[in-house]
Amino acid sequence: MTATALPRRLLDEVLSGRGIWPAVPAVVVLTVVAVIPFCILLSLGFSDITVSRGVIVSQTFSLRHLATALSDPLYQITFQRSLTLALSTTALCVLLGFPVAYLFLIGNAWMRRIILVLTIAPILTSGIVRTYSWIVILGGRGVVNSLLIDLGVISAPLRIINTQWAVIIGMVQVHLPIMILPLIAVMSRHDRRLDEASANLGASRLGTLRHVILPLSIGGLGTGAALVFTLSYTTFVVPQLLGGGNYLNAATMIYEQIVYSLEWSKGAVTALLLMLSCLSVLAVITWLTNLGTRWTRASQR
Amino acid sequence: MRGSDWLDRLGIGALIGVALFSLALLLLPAVIVVIMSFDTRGYISFPPAGFTFDWYARLFNQPVLMGAMWTSIKVGVYVTVLCIALGVPTALACARGDFRGAAGLSVFVLLPHMVPGIVLGVAVLFAGALFGIGPSIWLQSISLAVYVMAVMVRTVMARLQKLDPLLEQAASNLGATRWQSFRTITLPLLMPAILAGAVFTFIEGFDNLSVTIFTHGYRDRPLPVELLTIVQNTNSPLVAAVSSVQILLAILALLAISATIGLDRVND
Repeated sequence: MTATALPRRLLDEVLSGRGIWPAVPAVVVLTVVAVIPFCILLSLGFSDITVSRGVIVSQTFSLRHLATALSDPLYQITFQRSLTLALSTTALCVLLGFPVAYLFLIGNAWMRRIILVLTIAPILTSGIVRTYSWIVILGGRGVVNSLLIDLGVISAPLRIINTQWAVIIGMVQVHLPIMILPLIAVMSRHDRRLDEASANLGASRLGTLRHVILPLSIGGLGTGAALVFTLSYTTFVVPQLLGGGNYLNAATMIYEQIVYSLEWSKGAVTALLLMLSCLSVLAVITWLTNLGTRWTRASQR
Repeated sequence: MRGSDWLDRLGIGALIGVALFSLALLLLPAVIVVIMSFDTRGYISFPPAGFTFDWYARLFNQPVLMGAMWTSIKVGVYVTVLCIALGVPTALACARGDFRGAAGLSVFVLLPHMVPGIVLGVAVLFAGALFGIGPSIWLQSISLAVYVMAVMVRTVMARLQKLDPLLEQAASNLGATRWQSFRTITLPLLMPAILAGAVFTFIEGFDNLSVTIFTHGYRDRPLPVELLTIVQNTNSPLVAAVSSVQILLAILALLAISATIGLDRVND
């Protein structure tokens, strides 16, 4: 084998993509920057550590932080609040998102284009910017209060911002596009001849929606719900900005423990609990999606 | 029959009504922010009292904000370059690999994107602290690249799976080497997917907060971190102006996507 043949053969091997070689750099980087850090996070949840100038200098095994977290009522309240918030956000996103997908299905090319633009543009915009717009709308001199005062409905501005209502409105609006996108994907693959067949067999449009379109969208609903739940359960932008700092959820708790009070072990435990609870809910959503798919298949027989 | 027809119309009407409400909900906040960014008053109050470009002029005279924006642009570029360099070959291996564990590989690569960003950010911060690597623009960029590489891999993989393998075979039958057929056939056909993936990875590098807030350098604070502070502490239309610039950026990204893979392919 000549000297030039080896690199050429290696290049061929890499370009053919049949072996694992092209993926090796990515696998190495993912291992170093994701897998190892995650193991370290896991180990820190079970340790007492000393931090000096941003560097961990000592680490000993301890279940103290885990035990404290599990018995602390603040943790219980915070996780309960995050869970309620994320689940209501997911439910509202399903209720508001599905009709948009239906409109996408029955709409003409222009309507489809408008829906795509309005769904994708927010995903490309920063969450902070989109949350900020709700400060402008719901604030003391915001759009809602000004309109209500001008119309004579109220005499003094309502306090909407820094309440849980502001948080939930913001949460739903910020995460709605993530719900719509997978549903649109399902709808653009939907065979409209099925709807025609259903109509020819005497079904009303609502009947077709219930017995044809909805069962075929369950996969999209599941994907969307899983994404919306994960994001809304673990965000701190919306609660931080619209809850006015009084509205602590699990993510803002992690942020405060690590960035402000520098309690890293506590932060590690909270992060692990967040991840574990998030995965549990995702498992339930997946299970429900599969159940729904199987159930509709069975009922169609 | 007439009764159920009436019910049908009502039900579908209500559904379309909700859909239009949702679409308005997606559009209006952005429009309002853009309107407020031209207000002449020094605080946010609706409706605006006048029209001025003053806040945009001031925006470009804010060294802190401009610095943060520049940092975020750099991060966006680093993340994108890393994602292309690592993600495109990985997509090749995932789509065409016939080695053992090829299916496992794609799961492994897509996994970091499933983990909440905040958990990845915290994990990287701690791992760095254990090995004496402090937060910096580099730590931020590599963490974000790991976080969003899945998007690039998925987009390119979807395109690869639709490519006709006969094209490359034809090239090699005509005497092209692997490199020639890759460069002249496969790569050009993959380009739209790579560009679309690049738009998303750049935006994530530019906008991400959940990973960024734990990994960014203290000296070069990126835009999302700076914005979070400003939004919490100020009530001037300046923030609306920054937001409008970001909205404009999103529209440009949208145009880029519709020119490369088409808006309706974003999901594939």
